[in-house]
Amino acid sequence: MLSGLFKSPLFVTGLVLFGLTLLVAFVTPWVFEIDVDRRVGLAYMPPSAEHWLGTDHLGVDLVSLHVVGLRASLYVGLVSGVVATIVGTVIGVYGGYKGGFIDDLLNSLTNLFLVIPSLVVLILLSSSFEEGRSLTLIALIIGGTTWTWTARAVRAQASSLKSRDHVSLARINGYGTFGILTLHILPYLLSYLFMVFVLQTATGILTEASLSMLGLGPHDSVSLGRILDEAVKNEALLDGAWWAFLPATLLITLIAFSLYVINTSMEGVFNPRLRK
Amino acid sequence: MQDPVLSVEALSAHYLTRAGLEVRAVDGVSFSLREGEILGIAGESGCGKTTLVNACMGLFLPPLLHGAGDVKVDGVSILGMQPEQYRSRVLGRMVSMIPQGALNSLNPTRRIKDMASDMILSHEARADRREIHERLRERFERIGLDAAHVLNAYPVELPAGIKQRVVIGISTLLNPKIVIADEPTSALDVSTQKSVIRLLFELMDAGIVASMLFITHELPLLRHVATRIAVMYAGEFIEVGPTEDVIFHGLAPYTRALMGSMLSIDPAAGQNRPIALEGAPPDLKLPIVGCRFAARCREARPDCNETAQTLRSVGSREVRCRYVE
Amino acid sequence: MQSFLENHPRLRHSLGRALWYLLTFVVAIAVNFFLPRLGEQSPIDTLIARAGESLDTATAREQEAAYLKEFGLVEVDAQGNIIRQPDGHPVRTSLGAQFVRYLSLSLQGDLGTSILQYPKSVNEIIRAAVPWTIALQLPAIVLGWLCGNLLGALAAYRRGFFDKGLYPLALLMSAVPAFCAGILLVFLFSIELEWFPAVGGYDDSRLVGFTWDFIASAAHYYVLPFLSIFCITLGHQAIGMRSMCIYELGTDYIKYSKVLGIQESKILMYMFRNAMLPQLTGLGLALGAMIGGALITEMIFSYPGLGMTILTAIQGNDYPLITGTTLLITVTVLLANFTVDLLIGFLDPRVAHGQREKR
Repeated sequence: MLSGLFKSPLFVTGLVLFGLTLLVAFVTPWVFEIDVDRRVGLAYMPPSAEHWLGTDHLGVDLVSLHVVGLRASLYVGLVSGVVATIVGTVIGVYGGYKGGFIDDLLNSLTNLFLVIPSLVVLILLSSSFEEGRSLTLIALIIGGTTWTWTARAVRAQASSLKSRDHVSLARINGYGTFGILTLHILPYLLSYLFMVFVLQTATGILTEASLSMLGLGPHDSVSLGRILDEAVKNEALLDGAWWAFLPATLLITLIAFSLYVINTSMEGVFNPRLRK
Repeated sequence: MQDPVLSVEALSAHYLTRAGLEVRAVDGVSFSLREGEILGIAGESGCGKTTLVNACMGLFLPPLLHGAGDVKVDGVSILGMQPEQYRSRVLGRMVSMIPQGALNSLNPTRRIKDMASDMILSHEARADRREIHERLRERFERIGLDAAHVLNAYPVELPAGIKQRVVIGISTLLNPKIVIADEPTSALDVSTQKSVIRLLFELMDAGIVASMLFITHELPLLRHVATRIAVMYAGEFIEVGPTEDVIFHGLAPYTRALMGSMLSIDPAAGQNRPIALEGAPPDLKLPIVGCRFAARCREARPDCNETAQTLRSVGSREVRCRYVE
Repeated sequence: MQSFLENHPRLRHSLGRALWYLLTFVVAIAVNFFLPRLGEQSPIDTLIARAGESLDTATAREQEAAYLKEFGLVEVDAQGNIIRQPDGHPVRTSLGAQFVRYLSLSLQGDLGTSILQYPKSVNEIIRAAVPWTIALQLPAIVLGWLCGNLLGALAAYRRGFFDKGLYPLALLMSAVPAFCAGILLVFLFSIELEWFPAVGGYDDSRLVGFTWDFIASAAHYYVLPFLSIFCITLGHQAIGMRSMCIYELGTDYIKYSKVLGIQESKILMYMFRNAMLPQLTGLGLALGAMIGGALITEMIFSYPGLGMTILTAIQGNDYPLITGTTLLITVTVLLANFTVDLLIGFLDPRVAHGQREKR
């Protein structure tokens, strides 16, 4: 299965692109000095040999800002991805396997979260935590509200798995629910869960950016979304100071695009009908 | 002697794999069907039955390609036509198929009467709407369905047995000369199976259908339905002859092995197990020398691997094995 | 009544769904009310405290009293005077009572008064912004949906050049986040090429109204935000429709239709109709999310729709406006979901049958 993945040009493209962003985030500090607190010049200075991306509205080096911001956004994406995947998987797998009343209950819960727009919940939650908005908190909130799709998808998979022979066998042998779930259902879902995780991470990064642009981003930290927010607030767009918003936009686009491509290619490999 | 309704002459068809190799799934098959005959085709899975059936209809959907040979219905070749002519004159009219998995063959979002009308209109563009409905009603009643209810229903509302009848009804709507039934009863319970087979007989007796090709892996069914049986292996016919003879007095070693394994499946239980003999059929991508069954044949002799076998007449049958009298 | 419901399972199913949505609505209102108040201090308290800071004592007290009454935080007697405790502090209404008041007012359609633009009511502000949002989103979503589905179906049916060219392009368009597309478009067409204006819904120097002048100007400002939403929707739909069509083309019933000799045009219709069903669901949901769907995109273009409304509300901590907007967004999403739920039961016989089978 893995070899099939690497044969797909789509997958390789996505992986390479994502690798590129990781490169920017972690290799750049070796080349450039990263300091987001120091003013190195006037506001909105254009790119120069010394500062490849110029300065922002405070005069801080934008390369530093982008590297730190990229790492922060990736962090939020990953944490929210993990949280959303775990929550969604637990709810989905439990409901899908058990069926009956528990399934109906969990389904209603999922539908509830599904139908109430998560952005709304995020706006409301974030606005009540003015000072305490750390990257982690935001990641947790995002993870806690965007798991619905995962829950649905995993439930469908678990539901179809529970009628398999080895599951029935385990049940006869006296395995409890927890044992069956961890030993007989989850292992078969691993590839699917990975796909889901990739999507959730992308969602997390985009949602963080949206939140930041609404002014509800992390309070004291830099993130790609906040860079954009500051750019719009300080009219960098109108002034033509492209170095203040274009790189961040491209980075967000690159990450989202590479993750979606990876996900789509995995879908193509695991669902052979689409492969033609 | 009447002309055969269906005449298949040295038909070959192959698949083109991704790597560009040819898999000759049907290799030089010839046979003919007369009016009123039901030819049963028996063989292991992968022997080429379904490919043969598609090829006999002229249905070469990629990656299946026509290699050589011809198929004639009432003396008219159906393989040389223009696509549009082929679609409107041959499919559903000269040759029709009752598919395997008939249960999912109906468009789930279309009422039965609409799909059936589509079929008629696709072949008779000028047909009158009211006339069509009358025809449908008449035909469906004739095959034992409650026309008023069934015609207006969606597939999801109908039970499996009724759906099978509907599919048979639609497939034979235009009174095709030849009907190909590909495992038509595999998903049904025993009593429904019986009524479906009875329906097929009725259609033949009434002259709505002239002759039939019947594919199944259930021996009792084969025995009950077919007038003649063709045993297929690795893309070729191994033995063709009257039903009782082929089943109980098979001449070719493969026939006997096949019938033996089919008989060992408990007929009363009606198990739908695919037939399996020891070993595996040859890889059809490679050129084959000698008898294709030789590798697995208990009665193989040294030169079986060297010379190709041809189909020759032995009494009332045709056999592809040189060591048969 | 019991037997009537039993004889009409479809109706019972619809009533059941309606009940569920009503429940969800109540939960949504509760969420809307309680979430912003999770912090230690009620946001309104913070504002009142802040407002009173810069004013002298008398005016501050008056202002504080006005706010307290306005936002239902204190008990008020028959003449409208604040009931005070012996030490002079006003008697605070409990959180529960506040919620009940909020609930009843919301159900009547009164979303409160804005703090930032006091004394304008939230309804007023929203009513001015919503038409802009709808005017932008509705055509962009519907057109993007139509074109995307057509292209997707075409790509699935006529594989080859068209598909190989379209697929990566659509993938690109659907993977780019909406606001990123907006930023890129602004940069390219506005800043660099100066073809279109970057900011606003219309030229400030012109008068708002249904004059030809104004409409032309508004149209000019409309193009870029429209394009960003249109292209993203198109990309999404094309990819989805293509997958659905590929799936449908491989089904047994399509194969059987071909075997029967049914005309290609009819077979295409089969494929399209069946692939469309989930896409219609998508359209319904997208339209429902329309109001809150492109907030960021609108923000980037400073387009005078709900996006800007909520942005300025958040920046100014205008909680009644924030909660009013979020409530509106939630209600429209709920309504859209409910409508789609009902419609799909009528359009897809498989779903209708399943509804009839329940219990």
